[in-house]
Amino acid sequence: MKELKTNSSPFVNFNQKISFLFDGKKIFGFKGDTIASALLRNNINLVGRSFKYHRPRGIYTCGIEEPNALVQIISEYSEPNTRATIKKIYEGMEVESQNRWPSLDNDIGSINSLFSPLFSAGFYYKTFMGPHKSFWKKIYEPIIRRAAGLGKPPKEFRALSSHLHHNVDIVIVGAGLNGLLAAKSLINTNHDILLVDFDNHLGGIINNSAKILSIDNQSPQEWVKSTVEAIEKSKNIKILKNTLVTTYNYINHLIAVEDKHVGSRPSENKVNNILHKIRTDHVILCNGHIERFLSFQNNDLPGIMLASSFEKYICRYGTLPSKEPVIFSNNSNSNSLIYSIINQGYKPKAYIDSRSGENIEPELFDLIRKHDIPLYTNSQIKGVSGGKRIEKILIEDSTGGLSEIHSDFLCVSGGINPDVHLFTQSKGLLDWDEKDLTYKPSKPFQPTITLGSASGQFNLEKVSDEINEKLKIFKNKVLDTQIVLNTKESYQIEKLWEISPHKSSMWSKSFIDLQNDVTTKDIRQAISEGFDRIEHLKRYTTNSMGTDQGKISSINALGIVSDLLDKKVNEVGTTIYRPPYAPLSFAAIAGRNSYEFYDPERKSPIHQWHNDNGAIFEDVGQWKRPWYFPLNSSESMHDAVQRESKNVREFAGVLDGSTLGKIEIKGKDALSFMNLIYTNSFSKMKPGSARYALMLGEDGMVKDDGIISKISEEHFIATTTTGGAATVLGCMEEYAQTEWPNLNVYMNSITEQFATFNISGPKTREIMNKVFPEIDFSNDAFPFMTFQFHNYQGMQIRILRASFTGEMGYEIYIPSKNAAKIWDQLHSFGKDFGLIPYGTETMHLLRAEKGYILIGQDTDGSITPIDLGLNWTIGKTKQDFLGKRSLTRTDTIRTDRKQLVGITPSNKEDQLTEGQHIILNQNINTPIPMLGHITSSYHSPTLGHSFGLAVIKDGHLLIGTKAFASTPDQKTIPIEIVKPVFYDEENKRLVS
Amino acid sequence: MLIIECPYCGRRDQSEFSNGGEAHVKRPDGSSEISDREWSEYVFIRSNTKGIFYERWVHSHGCRKWFNCVRDTSTDEILKTYRIDDTRPKLKDFKNLVDTPSGEPELGSGNFTVKK
Repeated sequence: MKELKTNSSPFVNFNQKISFLFDGKKIFGFKGDTIASALLRNNINLVGRSFKYHRPRGIYTCGIEEPNALVQIISEYSEPNTRATIKKIYEGMEVESQNRWPSLDNDIGSINSLFSPLFSAGFYYKTFMGPHKSFWKKIYEPIIRRAAGLGKPPKEFRALSSHLHHNVDIVIVGAGLNGLLAAKSLINTNHDILLVDFDNHLGGIINNSAKILSIDNQSPQEWVKSTVEAIEKSKNIKILKNTLVTTYNYINHLIAVEDKHVGSRPSENKVNNILHKIRTDHVILCNGHIERFLSFQNNDLPGIMLASSFEKYICRYGTLPSKEPVIFSNNSNSNSLIYSIINQGYKPKAYIDSRSGENIEPELFDLIRKHDIPLYTNSQIKGVSGGKRIEKILIEDSTGGLSEIHSDFLCVSGGINPDVHLFTQSKGLLDWDEKDLTYKPSKPFQPTITLGSASGQFNLEKVSDEINEKLKIFKNKVLDTQIVLNTKESYQIEKLWEISPHKSSMWSKSFIDLQNDVTTKDIRQAISEGFDRIEHLKRYTTNSMGTDQGKISSINALGIVSDLLDKKVNEVGTTIYRPPYAPLSFAAIAGRNSYEFYDPERKSPIHQWHNDNGAIFEDVGQWKRPWYFPLNSSESMHDAVQRESKNVREFAGVLDGSTLGKIEIKGKDALSFMNLIYTNSFSKMKPGSARYALMLGEDGMVKDDGIISKISEEHFIATTTTGGAATVLGCMEEYAQTEWPNLNVYMNSITEQFATFNISGPKTREIMNKVFPEIDFSNDAFPFMTFQFHNYQGMQIRILRASFTGEMGYEIYIPSKNAAKIWDQLHSFGKDFGLIPYGTETMHLLRAEKGYILIGQDTDGSITPIDLGLNWTIGKTKQDFLGKRSLTRTDTIRTDRKQLVGITPSNKEDQLTEGQHIILNQNINTPIPMLGHITSSYHSPTLGHSFGLAVIKDGHLLIGTKAFASTPDQKTIPIEIVKPVFYDEENKRLVS
Repeated sequence: MLIIECPYCGRRDQSEFSNGGEAHVKRPDGSSEISDREWSEYVFIRSNTKGIFYERWVHSHGCRKWFNCVRDTSTDEILKTYRIDDTRPKLKDFKNLVDTPSGEPELGSGNFTVKK
């Protein structure tokens, strides 16, 4: 192991050594280190390969803005694209570099550099254009698919994250100097406040640089400590550490993610992420600024780092990435870096400033002279060269003379930008500042306040004045904070976006977006191809479209474009920063709503019995319904359904219909209400009778069906389809509240309060006589479509004589908690009569034989009751009901509408399939007019052949004619169009 | 996500509500005397207002009550909610935030940079 470059830092525990694996190699760091700071301690700078050209890339920054150092964390379910600059290490962590093969040092993909013209601006769009159709499928698509993405998808894992809601008065985003001061001024006020910071150590710039010498005569660290303590003591402020605000939505709705396992392996049984959903009245943005880079030849080589990041590695992590870096800047923000390096006992190898001598701060001049640092004013870096690390730097001085410096480290500063991502997400307006050369927040759209460098106020000495002024509305305490700075600087910058190369070569590139490998040449090309609007240019070149959203580079692109178009930057505009600020994992978004909790499962009260008896289940909405009951593991679904169907027709069967929706309707005006909701008229019905009824939409189309039981003029029970229960109840409530509030009527769902068993078959009456010996089930005493309440072993049950199979049958309604008792009774008495349980598939087959429709299968929202041949359900004398007027619209009275018919194959051995189109020609010569399609189809054991229901144009008129059903293999099946009843047309069995 | 004030329960998150489309659309009496046009306007035609819009909401994961709401569709600002049987507030009571020629509000429409 090499000598660790250690220093002092209060944030890293140098007594606790930690080892982790990087690309299989054991690396040592200290507790508190990020992957990046640990790698830099070990002199490792090559951490990944770039997206398109597979160029070697190093650690460019020291924070969330990192474009290059993205790694895959193997020990955390192989999570890809993790920023090495923020991810803290722990013992035994496994890290891999991305986008390289076979290894980081020798990457075959780097050959892409030679084909760079292929990957220029608009590459993706151009691939669609040719040269030949087959190019896309055979060449481009495989290349793009292989190259897509940087890391590999993570392995499946159970998300251990949860959501937390907050309702507060003020959220302060960022606990740096401004955030802490703002919070301090609001201590013990009557505002509920959340102070959110991404770091585990509050203080921001105070920790990250040597800019501040003292605050209120305390050392910066002491001040932070005492201030945080005071804030923590205050009852009205809650601090959220390790929490990143990713999203600033409309109506002050913020989303933030908290990492609960910073610096430790994710727990397998504790929550690792918390997604905070925050509602607030005011937001104070103190999220600081981001330094930008500069574009010059090979500005992506490992060994180049942003100046403020270099300083952060020194101050925050106690590591010196290089003892003598070269510094290149066009502004005063990087001055403090020179102090920091000198404080460590080293000095920069050279300082290059694009500003002329008179614009450079005299203090800096003195310092540079005193330490004898080679100074280049009015100079620029024309380019750098090297292999996997920079080696030489080419400098052009004020006279145009060229000189070369050998160095393996270069710090770059292109100026600073307020971090406006959250501000623009909140739809606030930005304005270009010609003096500071950056976009600054101007007009907020929501009650948003920006403070400090987030507002574009870069002078650290003026922060308390700004807070006193902007937070007045909160009646806060007036601050009088004395801040002493290391360098008396007011921010000063000279315009510089890009330095043209001295000599161009195939390999040398000048990058504008490091993550997406976009070069300044791509920008020029896009503009020359006409994509000169900034939003077009962004998409055409993919500039700032990476996961970093071009945090260190997007303003540079605007500057370059404005120069190229000879427009002001304000006229060029800026692209919109969209949430999230930084990627957040799907696991955090999903929270606990994953796997079995994704959607609730609803189960019948006798679900356990079905399970014990080998039922195969089908999902119907949220319900688990028995699909069929195979006799043994070798019985196929087809065989089971054929057997069950035959058994019901010959003996008896019972279906668990508990999932059917049940709605109870009561009130003085219940009868009038039901007459308005359903097509049928219930006025003349005797109490104790039931009726099959349809519910329409106002457009006249069938929405739901069910059986309506009339208990009295003021009391009804309606059943609905399993999937339609919520919609039907919702529809009833809507009309009761909005259209007919004058009606005295109430309704409620009783679906889960009652279990329903549908028993049917020729032996049903005998079984019922055994189970309920005191009830007279004779035809006279209990006719078809009537119901009776009975007391059975101390509970009230309701028996309705109705059938969905075509056989005589009953539906038994039992309070859910007692349902199992009756189910068992039915089976123990029914055994001798051949009673079996059957599932939904057999139910579907039996009802189709009888021509009973299934809502949502035979109907699709475009079918009227007349199309179904259910004219008899319509109460023609009724003044009004939902959709009545629509039944006489010009469209609904057309005769050539799609209508329900039956289909049988002409050759009885042919099998029909649902979805087959009905056509009139035997040969398929496309285009061919299609009459309609088969909606239901089964093989009937009773008929001995396949049959189906279909909706076809003019269907009612076509009954008795021949047609064809198409198949996917261009063949046709001859069919006959028949009435949609295949079994017991006279209903003899129903009423037997 | 919006915050909506249910006239019965108070301020709640949008996720508790369902939108019910335009409000104050009167259902014609079901008698067959009304024309096809009149009926189809009730069934199919709704205004697509940019700006002040009267609409219905239902507190479906709450009290299940329907109520009316005045919302500026160009900014999503909810200006008022009121019970279904309350009288319709007058349009002139609300300041229409949309006053730019294209109907876009100056702020908040999301494409202000493109327009510049």
